[in-house]
Amino acid sequence: MTSLTYNHFFILSLVVFMIGCFGLFLNRRNMILILMCIEIILLAANINFVSASVFLNDINGQVFSIFILTIAAAEAAIGLAILVIYFRNKGEIDVTKINQLKD
Amino acid sequence: MFLLGTFYLFASFLVMTCISVIFSKNPVNSVLFLVLAFLNSTFLFILIGAEFVGIILAIVYIGAVAILFLFVVMMLDIQITSLMFNIKRYVPLAILFSSIILAEIIYLTVYKTAKSQKDIIVRSENNTEQIGNVLYTDYFIDFQLSGIVLLLAMIGAIVLTHVYRPTIKRQNINKQNMTFAKDRVELMKPKSGEGINSDD
Repeated sequence: MTSLTYNHFFILSLVVFMIGCFGLFLNRRNMILILMCIEIILLAANINFVSASVFLNDINGQVFSIFILTIAAAEAAIGLAILVIYFRNKGEIDVTKINQLKD
Repeated sequence: MFLLGTFYLFASFLVMTCISVIFSKNPVNSVLFLVLAFLNSTFLFILIGAEFVGIILAIVYIGAVAILFLFVVMMLDIQITSLMFNIKRYVPLAILFSSIILAEIIYLTVYKTAKSQKDIIVRSENNTEQIGNVLYTDYFIDFQLSGIVLLLAMIGAIVLTHVYRPTIKRQNINKQNMTFAKDRVELMKPKSGEGINSDD
């Protein structure tokens, strides 16, 4: 196997996805790192879509990757806005105390 | 061979920067490593011929999302906390999930590789042209809907972070339009040496 195939990109996106999931499990304290891990997971999805689109010769995957990008940007904006108002009310961003939001 | 070597270079950089995002103690370093990870994936996309998505990824993530993260990290003044290393609680769950993923990888790479073993096909029209041909015809409604999603996200972020302060004097345009000039300005002819009485 001396040429670049779809399997390389598939395994790369899987590794990046697992790193993101591992970060979600590991970082239980900092909420901003959780948002960054979600961005990493979306990046893994993007890598998978774009590489499949290139190697299967179908352009629809890249169009879908642009939509994923849009949703990721919107999600980052809303998440950071929630983070800012949570910090303004509580003075900290501890994820273990965020269940007090329902009171 | 050149493609494979470049792929391994950027892929190893990508994995290392993603690990650094998780394990660095300072959130500012995490954001900068996230920028590096997006840059590496941009290089990977350009390597396999998806230039448009690569450049859009660089512009949107590095130019907008990472800068937004950096603003919030610097604005919130988070104290540098160490990681909570109670990994022992998650070991059975991690072994379960990773064994499932490993089984999927082995299944897909051993049994399902025949269809996807294709080389990169170079087309006559360039990448941006292909995307434009599809995006503005087949995906026209989805394109407009993604614009509406961005608008909603913008309005939502403004509404969430907006603080209403009642002490600030605001401009009331209705009240301004309801008044006339003779209510506000009065022509006076003061005699010299007397001044104006403001009572009448």
